Amino acid sequence: MAFVRGWLTPPMLAAFVVFGTLPLWIRPVGLYEYLGVEILIWCIYALGFNILLGYTGLPSFGHGAYFGIGAYAMGLTQFRLYPNLWLGLLAATLAAAAFGGLVALLISHRRGIYFALMTIAFGQMFFFVASKWTSVTRGEDGLLNIKRLPADFGVVAFDLKPNIALAYFVFACFVVAVVLLWRLVHSPFGKVLRAIKQNEARAAFLGSHVFLYKWASFTLSCAIAGFAGGLFAMAQNGAYVQAMSLQWSGVVVLMTLIGGGLVSFWGPVIGTALFFVARDLLGAYTETWLLWYGLMFMAIVMFKPEGLAGLGQDVARRWRGRRRAAVGIPAAAPR
Amino acid sequence: MEFVVSLFPHLLNGVALGLLFALVALGFMLIIGVMEVINLAHGSLFALGAYAALVLLTPDGGLKLPALSGYFALPVGWRFALALLVAPVVVGVVGMGLELCLRRTYGRDPLYGLLLTFGAALVLEEGIRLVWGPTERFLTIPSAITGGVSLGGLIYSVYRFFASGFAIGMILLLWVFLQRTPYGALIKAGAHDSEMVRALGVNLARLRLFVFAFGVALAAVAGIVMAPIWGVRPHVGVDAVVPAFVVIVLGGVGSFWGAVLAGLLVGMVVGLTGAFLTDWSLISMYILLIVVVTFRARGLLGKKSVLEQ
Amino acid sequence: MALFEARRLHKRFGDHVVLEEINLAFEAGRLSGIIGPNGAGKTTCFNVLTGRYKPDRGRVLFDGEDITGLPPRVIAGKGISRSFQIMNVFDEYTALDNVLIALPEVRARGFDMLHDIGRDTAAQDRAAAVLARVGLAGREREPARGLPYGDRRALEIGIALAAEPRLLFLDEPTSGLGSEATARLADLVGELRRTVTLVIIEHDMQFLFGLADRISVIHWGQVIAEGSPAELRANPWVQASNLGRLA
Repeated sequence: MAFVRGWLTPPMLAAFVVFGTLPLWIRPVGLYEYLGVEILIWCIYALGFNILLGYTGLPSFGHGAYFGIGAYAMGLTQFRLYPNLWLGLLAATLAAAAFGGLVALLISHRRGIYFALMTIAFGQMFFFVASKWTSVTRGEDGLLNIKRLPADFGVVAFDLKPNIALAYFVFACFVVAVVLLWRLVHSPFGKVLRAIKQNEARAAFLGSHVFLYKWASFTLSCAIAGFAGGLFAMAQNGAYVQAMSLQWSGVVVLMTLIGGGLVSFWGPVIGTALFFVARDLLGAYTETWLLWYGLMFMAIVMFKPEGLAGLGQDVARRWRGRRRAAVGIPAAAPR
Repeated sequence: MEFVVSLFPHLLNGVALGLLFALVALGFMLIIGVMEVINLAHGSLFALGAYAALVLLTPDGGLKLPALSGYFALPVGWRFALALLVAPVVVGVVGMGLELCLRRTYGRDPLYGLLLTFGAALVLEEGIRLVWGPTERFLTIPSAITGGVSLGGLIYSVYRFFASGFAIGMILLLWVFLQRTPYGALIKAGAHDSEMVRALGVNLARLRLFVFAFGVALAAVAGIVMAPIWGVRPHVGVDAVVPAFVVIVLGGVGSFWGAVLAGLLVGMVVGLTGAFLTDWSLISMYILLIVVVTFRARGLLGKKSVLEQ
Repeated sequence: MALFEARRLHKRFGDHVVLEEINLAFEAGRLSGIIGPNGAGKTTCFNVLTGRYKPDRGRVLFDGEDITGLPPRVIAGKGISRSFQIMNVFDEYTALDNVLIALPEVRARGFDMLHDIGRDTAAQDRAAAVLARVGLAGREREPARGLPYGDRRALEIGIALAAEPRLLFLDEPTSGLGSEATARLADLVGELRRTVTLVIIEHDMQFLFGLADRISVIHWGQVIAEGSPAELRANPWVQASNLGRLA
């Protein structure tokens, strides 16, 4: 099986089956469609974020800003320009990319801790402006009544108002995002990004324009965050400033890492699903679920920094090793 | 001229704010210097300092400590002074606990230290919410340092004078400590080269434990002094720690007087903008940051530091 | 005209002068060596030549073009490649990927975000050929992190070589290698010199004297002697220093 010439892989198909059939099984397991919508949107956000964190090695603690900019752009095009779903999503993506690209110009010569510090400062600046510029963003109240416009394909238009319809639409976006990002990380571009993460100076001596790659990686992840933010504004019927706060910017880092974004493409998906399910399950028992979640996160950073995907890889490796030992095949080097 | 004079009370507010930002930033910078960790929990520990002071100052401070019942007969001034002494110690002990957790991340990508402290910030903030509730609280302060004083026809807040003076005292003490004591020299050496400290036969683990506790205790002190101005909320830390980041980047990572200068600059710019555009006062801080990092990437007084590599 | 020339290079850090005045010329098709005692400024000289540091004075010419002070990536783009004294491979990558991303055709497509490089068999084959050239055939799929020390050094040279340089700088290639690995490396360098112009900085005299066409001796931040290995052995300066005895 050549999987349509490298566009699809078995884990990808598995993920698509699980999320694509979500409206069929989510109620029977005691959850609800909207949760699926949230998970899928934040998966897109976290997968894009992982291009920056996991593949380029640049920690941003201010990505909520671009997610939020996307959400506001979605609402503002709808209210002030022209109500059309595609236009809104395009505006959300481009606005976030534009602001992200500008910030990236100022910080792409940095790395490590200093880079993180600068992303925090810029993220807070956007958060601050969004919460004070009430004539545009409605400040703390949020930009309300953002509509779920129909997905109009010319010949046929789908109404996205019901959560089930929105879940299918967001799923389609997720499929496109996963396929494209999978291609990206295996492309020459993705290879160079990972080389920069491992050894920036060496990459420069190979002739790579490191600044440009870092800029592109940051801007791209901002664009995806903006796109996801646009979807989220639709899902929530509004754009809220909280998504831009330091805390929520940190949450996407947390999702990406808990899942194992540093060692696996699928880490952000695992982490996001876990976060939202934990919120609902723990949240049903205690109001301070974030406390327990934070403690769990600390434990993972301390004892298994590769995250859940890393844990899975360890288990798989041990299992393979035991099977090999049983039939007497020498263990190959880990890949 | 009259216009300029009318700005003086705002300038005073700015100076008080700036000095306290500088104090938070300096503690933060000591930690970066010695263990190359950005302590994202710094803000939460700032808040914790204020809450610990709350317990020592007011009988309904959230924690019902029966042993303290007789203690509240003491005058407010005594209790305030005691809070300024005890609360930072309490926070320092919490900081030590965090540093023990952090040990597992040393020698790995500095990102993990950052993440661990982010998790800790989450836990601390939620913990504060659990113990003291989400509503805003206020510290009782001695009447000697409340109210206003009239100078040249303008009203100045007495507490801002107290806050500025206290912060100046702390900054000078810190400077003397770093400059004139063997332990201070060790911290500076540790900030420079941890290998060297080890070569000197110093217990690096203990040095880190102490510096972390010391750094967060400074945040707690600032948190207490800031509390009467800002009020005490579970997420008040973000309002202090983000300006501290800005101050550090502005002043130049690793530069003591750079941080103080940048703190004053930020405080005064914020104070003056506050005079005209109350809502937008903090934006000036970010504009200042962008201008400085665009034209002078390593900050006002910064040298090339380990973090820039 | 020499392929690569350094004219009157001067470099200091603060008030510490590391390079007083360096004049060097490397001919195309030759293997040139630079030797000198520790602290003589060899590595600094190397870093100035390859664009890591900017010289305070003087010029660096490549093929008649002034490349003084250009950023490393630009210098690399002109066909100058280098290895590093401290291990500089991409640890998380397999041996093959390490070489792959250094290939000119892969670098030229650096902003291609859609095509799976793992399916580009032409590029994979070329990368494998480079690995075979440095003696790493059969280890393509092993992660660089797991390779033994000598193989990592060979891999580093492979990365530098994959860029198809017109001029290849090697910074102390034998450092940290045992005698057997050094002998293997000497074979490899002997093989490379047939096709690539090489400049090697070394402290292992035996290694360099056996391979180089021409050697420059650097001491006190200056070139104190130059010539073929035979000429240098006869040079009183070199004999007077302990360098001569080792050779």
